[in-house]
Amino acid sequence: MSMLVFLEQHGGELQKGSLGVLAKAASLGSNDVAAVIVGDGAKALAAEAGAYGAAKVFVAEGEALQQALPQPRVDVLAKVVQEHGYETVLLANSVLAADVAAGLAARLDAGLNWDLVDLTGDLVGKRLALQDTVLVDVGWKTTPRIALFRAGSFDATPTGGGEPQVEDVTVELSEHSQQATITGQELEESSGPSIEDADIVVAGGRGLGAAENFSLAEELARALGGAVGATRAVVDAGWYPYSAQIGQTGKVVSPKLYVALGISGAIQHKVGMQSSNVIVSINKDANAPIFEFSDLGVVGDVHEIVPRLTELIKQRKGA
Amino acid sequence: MTRASDFPPPFDPRDYVAEPTAPADERIEVGVLIVGAGPAGLACAIRLGQLLGEHPDVAERLGEVPVAVVEKGKQPGSHLLSGAVVNPRALRKLGFRPEDVPNYGEVHEEAVYVLTKRAALRIPPPPTMRNHGNWIMSLSQLGRFLAEQAEEGGAMVLPETAAERLLVSHGRVVGIRTGDKGRNREGEPMGNYEPGSDLVARVTVLAEGTQGHLTGVALDRFGLRSEEPQVWELGVKEVWRVPKAPRHVIHTMGWPLRTSAKYREFGGSFIYPMGDDMLTIGMVVGLDYRDAELSTHDVLQELKTHPKIAKLLRGGERIGWGAKTIPSGGWYSLPSKLHAPGLLLCGDGVGMVNIPRLKGVHYAIESGRLAAESAFAALRRGATPSTALQSYDDGVRNGFIGADLHEVRDMRQVFGRGFFVGGALASAMTVSRGRIDFGKMRAEPDAEQPLLTTNRAASYPAPDGKVTFDKLSSVFASGNKTRDDQPNHIRIERRVPKEVAEMWVNLCPAQVYEIGTEGSDGTVTVNVAASNCVQCGAITAKGGRLTPPEGGSGPEYQLT
Repeated sequence: MSMLVFLEQHGGELQKGSLGVLAKAASLGSNDVAAVIVGDGAKALAAEAGAYGAAKVFVAEGEALQQALPQPRVDVLAKVVQEHGYETVLLANSVLAADVAAGLAARLDAGLNWDLVDLTGDLVGKRLALQDTVLVDVGWKTTPRIALFRAGSFDATPTGGGEPQVEDVTVELSEHSQQATITGQELEESSGPSIEDADIVVAGGRGLGAAENFSLAEELARALGGAVGATRAVVDAGWYPYSAQIGQTGKVVSPKLYVALGISGAIQHKVGMQSSNVIVSINKDANAPIFEFSDLGVVGDVHEIVPRLTELIKQRKGA
Repeated sequence: MTRASDFPPPFDPRDYVAEPTAPADERIEVGVLIVGAGPAGLACAIRLGQLLGEHPDVAERLGEVPVAVVEKGKQPGSHLLSGAVVNPRALRKLGFRPEDVPNYGEVHEEAVYVLTKRAALRIPPPPTMRNHGNWIMSLSQLGRFLAEQAEEGGAMVLPETAAERLLVSHGRVVGIRTGDKGRNREGEPMGNYEPGSDLVARVTVLAEGTQGHLTGVALDRFGLRSEEPQVWELGVKEVWRVPKAPRHVIHTMGWPLRTSAKYREFGGSFIYPMGDDMLTIGMVVGLDYRDAELSTHDVLQELKTHPKIAKLLRGGERIGWGAKTIPSGGWYSLPSKLHAPGLLLCGDGVGMVNIPRLKGVHYAIESGRLAAESAFAALRRGATPSTALQSYDDGVRNGFIGADLHEVRDMRQVFGRGFFVGGALASAMTVSRGRIDFGKMRAEPDAEQPLLTTNRAASYPAPDGKVTFDKLSSVFASGNKTRDDQPNHIRIERRVPKEVAEMWVNLCPAQVYEIGTEGSDGTVTVNVAASNCVQCGAITAKGGRLTPPEGGSGPEYQLT
């Protein structure tokens, strides 16, 4: 059972999500887990891939592969799969990886299961369906099998693997893979970690009362070293930017700690954060649905509790 | 007296009529363009496929795409919702046996109850509610099935495509312009912006269903509205998986609606088995009601707490939800003409519904079939003059659609006299098969009803998340995951008296409206969460105007 994991890197940094998938692949008992790293500095990252379980790392560098475009990556992956006969290709969802997965499936005429949250040793994928209310088993009828995992499905925990075997891949890019180019890239200003990557998310809802009260969430997030999220209702009301919206039509997050301030817990919000490890909610309405899926619920006024909580955390951290 | 109609929406139908704008070589040219992949539009496409198959010479003349269907939903069926107990007559005429389309069996047993808060009195089914020989279906499933048939017959079905403007050139409809995609809330193009395109056709068939956007625009543009205004009802329904479905088709009247004439609460509920382990339960309420706190969504929740109904749901789980308006003006509210140069109007869009029988699907299918016949005949002759499509009007009025609607022509209006008086009159009318002439009873537009408040909301149950639900959970169960940062597609006056705002808040089954800040003059602002919208159309009946959002938005109905 051979597995190939696409490791996404930007600016010499391997993305946490794809390392999580690699660690998962290594845990499934396969003796042939390899990784593919594309772009400048790929070779330098091979050792890190080894630490997360790759016995072999294919690296492809070169000017044509510098930009984070999907089609050249499809060329690389297709070549590795065809030449080495990998039966299973795993990717962690991202804007880039979703394109790569779709392109690869089309190129190899392969089956793609997307939005998976788990995979078993006998290659049964798990996917949430009917708006995350049921978990269904999915499989593949043919090889290669391609799987795209939902962000945050697996922890990126080093497996203690050793130095991997490194192999250079040179690939002749197809004509159509060279048609697109990135003309500009901008980073959205953000003070802390992005909410999808953060281990701690402090999210605010309508119960904060007013846009200016979001400073409560921001200060608590700063004290905890986390990111700030928001519900659709407050984004709709213009209190906070859309990029911070968590839920069905916003971002899906699964941090280690999720602190919900003044959030009622409508199902549209729940599906964006229910897989968080620990959920702490503060809401003055004891009947708010969020308490049904919180690990710790505090019935009280966020305006009184949060400043004191922030103060306490600062003291502890300072001490 | 406060009336929603005194606060009209900022909407002018003329803004949605345009000359073809795109350069001629960028237009998409089709033979017959059908707007709406519902029973009417798809029946039209299927019949055209049959006729063009028999006459390849005509098909040849219509170019590469002889028949196209545009659909604003994610896929055909996404926006379809009905009871639905379907009279199979029109399907048969189209060439389908009811047993060959997706169905949940023929109706064999039925029961009608008058409910009070705790009791249920079984009464013999009124003549209009006898359903023997009719078939239980999911309209959403039927839509998907018919779309496959239409495609097999050669039609091109374009989902996620909203028909936004009617293209009119020299007094003749020449197609539609589709809506833009990828605009942000302020209307600015974003990275994935895609402008709409002109779809130019020899004949355009509007089969948009209830509260059709371009149907409304066309009725105004060509002066086709009836003297009698159209009125609507709002249906809200749920699909449940249950340990054991009832054997009967069940209808209820009375509670939780109030039967006194001054409230004008006309409606009832339906419960249909869907196979052995599913049922659908829905509540239908006339939108000529007056109480600002009446909420059809919450009346349905209340209904489910009745001991008789709760028993049917015990051990079950809600697996679907949806809402849609039903035109209920009947015969007198039909447009003066069902065609204009280059244009045909079908189905619910023009109000082909038999309210006492709770039936409309077979009229939609039949009108689509007749539209196909008429369009084909005109295209075959190469005719385009304004009278070429008159045969469609004749077909509708002289066929069973016209006969059925004429028979029950006064039915809707009589219920304004209160439930019991109205019920008696309605029965007399049906038993006499329409021979008693009660004279033309005028209806007022739904938005002109003076509003009152009676603390009605106090009786709605608190949602428990198991049997009774809040509106946001219901929107979730509709499959709606509309992009939030798109332009608002709902036109309403944003500053209105509190009563009007409250009426809208309660009216909407999808929690779109919310009362904002209160002004010093007793008015309030109304906030709109447009992405919750399931496009039921109730707001258009009650003083606002729905326009189509970006294609692909709205609910994704599966079983409704």
